[in-house]
Amino acid sequence: MEPIEIGLIVSGGLLVFVVLGMRVAFAAGLAGLVGLIWIFWAKKGYDPEAFMWALGIAAKIAGQVPHSKVANQALSLIPTFILIGYLAYYAGLTKALFEAAKRWIAWVPGGLAVATVFATAGFAAVSGASIATSAVFARIAIPEMLKIGYDKKFAAGVVAAGGTLASLIPPSAILVIYAIIVEQDVGKLLLAGFIPGAFSALIYAGLIIGMALTIKGFGPPVSGYTWKERFASLPPSLPIVFVVFIIVVFIYNPFGGDAWGTPTEGGALGAFVVFCMAVFKGMRWAELKDALLESAKLSVMIFTIIWGVLIYVRFLGFADLPGAFSDWVTSLDYSPMLILIMILLAYAVLGMFMDAIGMLLLTLPVVYPAVMALNGGEAVSAAESTFGMSGPMCAVWFGILVVKMAEFCLITPPIGLNCFVVAGVRDDLSVQDVFRGVAPFFVADAITIGLLIAFPAIVIWLPSLAG
Amino acid sequence: MAGNANVLTDDSLLSLLDQKLNEIGKFLALISGLAVFSLMILAVLSVSGRNFFNHPLPGYIDWIEQAMPLIAFMGISYTQRNGGHIRMDMVVGKLKGRTLYAAELLTTLAILTLMLLIVWGSWEHFQRSFDFNAPMWSRDSSMDIGIPLWPAKLLAPVAFSVLCLQLIVQAWGFTSALISGTDQPVAVPLIEDVAAQANHEASHLTGHDD
Amino acid sequence: TEWNVSLWGKRRAFTEHVEKIAELVDKKTNGEFKLNISYGGLSKNKENLDGISIGAFEMAQFCAGYHRDKNPSLTVAELPFLGVSTLDQERRLSEELYKHPAVVKDLARWNATLLMPSPMPQYNIAGLGDTPKSLDDFKGLAVRATGGIGQAMKAVGAVPTSMSASEVRQALDGGVIKAVAFAQHAHMAFGVVEKATWWTTNLNPGTINCPVVVNTDALNGLKPAYRDALLGSVDEALDYYVDNYNNKTMKRWDPLLKERGIEKVTFSDQAIADLKKAVATPAADQWVKDNAAKGLPAQELYDFFTGMIK
Ligand code: NA
Ligand code: NA
Repeated sequence: MEPIEIGLIVSGGLLVFVVLGMRVAFAAGLAGLVGLIWIFWAKKGYDPEAFMWALGIAAKIAGQVPHSKVANQALSLIPTFILIGYLAYYAGLTKALFEAAKRWIAWVPGGLAVATVFATAGFAAVSGASIATSAVFARIAIPEMLKIGYDKKFAAGVVAAGGTLASLIPPSAILVIYAIIVEQDVGKLLLAGFIPGAFSALIYAGLIIGMALTIKGFGPPVSGYTWKERFASLPPSLPIVFVVFIIVVFIYNPFGGDAWGTPTEGGALGAFVVFCMAVFKGMRWAELKDALLESAKLSVMIFTIIWGVLIYVRFLGFADLPGAFSDWVTSLDYSPMLILIMILLAYAVLGMFMDAIGMLLLTLPVVYPAVMALNGGEAVSAAESTFGMSGPMCAVWFGILVVKMAEFCLITPPIGLNCFVVAGVRDDLSVQDVFRGVAPFFVADAITIGLLIAFPAIVIWLPSLAG
Repeated sequence: MAGNANVLTDDSLLSLLDQKLNEIGKFLALISGLAVFSLMILAVLSVSGRNFFNHPLPGYIDWIEQAMPLIAFMGISYTQRNGGHIRMDMVVGKLKGRTLYAAELLTTLAILTLMLLIVWGSWEHFQRSFDFNAPMWSRDSSMDIGIPLWPAKLLAPVAFSVLCLQLIVQAWGFTSALISGTDQPVAVPLIEDVAAQANHEASHLTGHDD
Repeated sequence: TEWNVSLWGKRRAFTEHVEKIAELVDKKTNGEFKLNISYGGLSKNKENLDGISIGAFEMAQFCAGYHRDKNPSLTVAELPFLGVSTLDQERRLSEELYKHPAVVKDLARWNATLLMPSPMPQYNIAGLGDTPKSLDDFKGLAVRATGGIGQAMKAVGAVPTSMSASEVRQALDGGVIKAVAFAQHAHMAFGVVEKATWWTTNLNPGTINCPVVVNTDALNGLKPAYRDALLGSVDEALDYYVDNYNNKTMKRWDPLLKERGIEKVTFSDQAIADLKKAVATPAADQWVKDNAAKGLPAQELYDFFTGMIK
């Protein structure tokens, strides 16, 4: 049997494991290990005596992967980004943000919902995880919206959708994982997420304003704050601005000259600032221990997926599946843009049933080289490329598109994690209610993705400034 | 997608073993959390060293690479014990009683098989970097300042062995539940109703914020 | 018969001998013995020796300085200011070194047999920011420099950091380093030229040693005809490599500097001689001491290697 056929069969087996409810990290690791055994045993013509030899080599190759892949400086961003999120609760940053957003922008039609979107976008600038963002704002924003007569389902939908912004707006654990899988500059990708993230927030806001203007009985605007009250709301949320500032100058120095350090350092320094704030606000060892344990648990979960899936990816390397898939895609007789859109639609379907990180790790090793080949290769110049951008810029653009798809999947039924979390916080809301409330935002997301495809400049303008 | 889960306890030997392992696992997870914290401190030192004292922290990258396995591996058993490794529970979520225990036993044994092989493979990886006769027992060192790599490589088989113990306890738990057909199985992670689980998570996140 | 070959990065001057030998072997055996080259799919570059030792693949390239404890004997060729001046000389020296019993024994621990070197020219430094006018200007400069070149950098007051080639561009983007010591092909392949504003022409502090090895059991298990085809192609592959490096890579270098407006920095002969005096002997002494402690015949190896240069 050819390695490529083995690759296809094992990949099918992996899907079965996952659907049967095996934990994704281990299902991928097991599929990789079985695949490696198979490939090496096939090399010896399935000689029964060679089985133990094949098993040994496969175990040794797989056993290298956890340490080898995890001992990576770039990956250290993930735990620090997670830690920032947990520390931010203790620093009281979330509440401060929502209060400021309310006083400054809630006077527009659909005011409080618009304010919620901007507050989640602001919190996204310090939080690396979408679910956490939705969970917090469900507590803070929904009660206020209900108080002034918003539809319950819609209020929940706003929070579920707003939470997704955390993975586009840096810092973002998912963008880091993408950058590492495809071996592109982490800093550039984080930078690239900024405008599309803000852009998504604007489209959400536009949608809400549109709905407020056309639907009778939509929540009223909130006005009447004096300028004094408005300015008084700013200082408590200033630390967020400061953290954002730090992360930005560490990724790309807007004052000219060199960046001050790596994104890793920027993330860690941001965490340190939030940590100092939290201590100032009264966080002590018991709370810190809690935050550290929670960060550890989430980090371990992500890292286990990373090395598990990378065992599978190492097997794919031995089976040469990425090369074969990329050859197949580039030989297809459709327009490259159509193929790209079909790939994104496939992500939308897959994302209904899988979580974002597992989905990216599983698919990118095969899909990414194919997309790069469609554009004309890693080293192609913008002028000679299919999509009108250089190889590295195409990597950035595709990354943002894929992460936006992964975010979209957080609010689509049947498994939209953000919606589950929001329903969980509110006893009076079922998951179905939240899915119904969030539905208008599918339209907003579809528009956003369409615009990002049609006008790649939205994505690549900022990173291209960084050189 | 299931994250957290409940584990029932009683005073059987099985449950006592499970609780003991959970304690060990929690301690290891805390080490991992402290490693995250030290990563943050390390970066602060590195940045201030470079920008204010014009003297970069020697071996900054090497030290991060040493800390990463601590973060990534030490909490793996604790996370498994409490059902924290994600999975799709659309199918198992529909199962009940003995069918459920049989399915869970099957995947638990599959994970155990994988992890036993990975313990072997990662132990071999450690051994290739370890030499009793070499200075600092090192046969592989970091690139910049030459820190021996064997301690970091040793963390993988150690943490994975604890996970294997946890998996054996869980397999035992599912087996006895399969035999007795109880609806209150101990020492195994139970699927929570998804909403209850989200509530659990959210209460944790927000508990201190308001 | 098929062999898997583990390289990293992308195809570049540094990998042309492997590409060439694959082509030659294929031709000589009528396609019956194939070398499948993978760029990064089979292993991480720092773990290619582990993969060879496991038997995961049959051939691989690596750099001695990536892991000095794995291959201490080879690092003698990475000492600073050894006085090697051409690629041909670098090639002959490495080929002789690879036959030395202590080196053969060192690599045998990994079940590896040295096949051929990947000779590289003397490293020089490209950087951004203020152009150094004299060696004094290197004080405090964060520079990527491994092994002996790092020691030379320390001697002029710079702060050397080691990292593998694939990590360099990100470190440069992030400001962790301001300058990079590389051979010309790597300055081009890893994107240093896109950021650099200056390049030193005559620092020549040394180079690093990156052999291609094969799994010993796999080599011994080859049919004699295949084995001859492989070993008999080494010279031709290396001839091709050196010619390609000298006539393609080196010729592209000067025009590229001009096009990018990268300033050339040349130091006085006196300054270089002083630096060499300050660095070379202490570094060599330290190397002999450290490696004798690891059980190598370090002094003998050092004398053997440097004896061929004079
Ligand atoms: Na974010
Ligand atoms: Na979904």
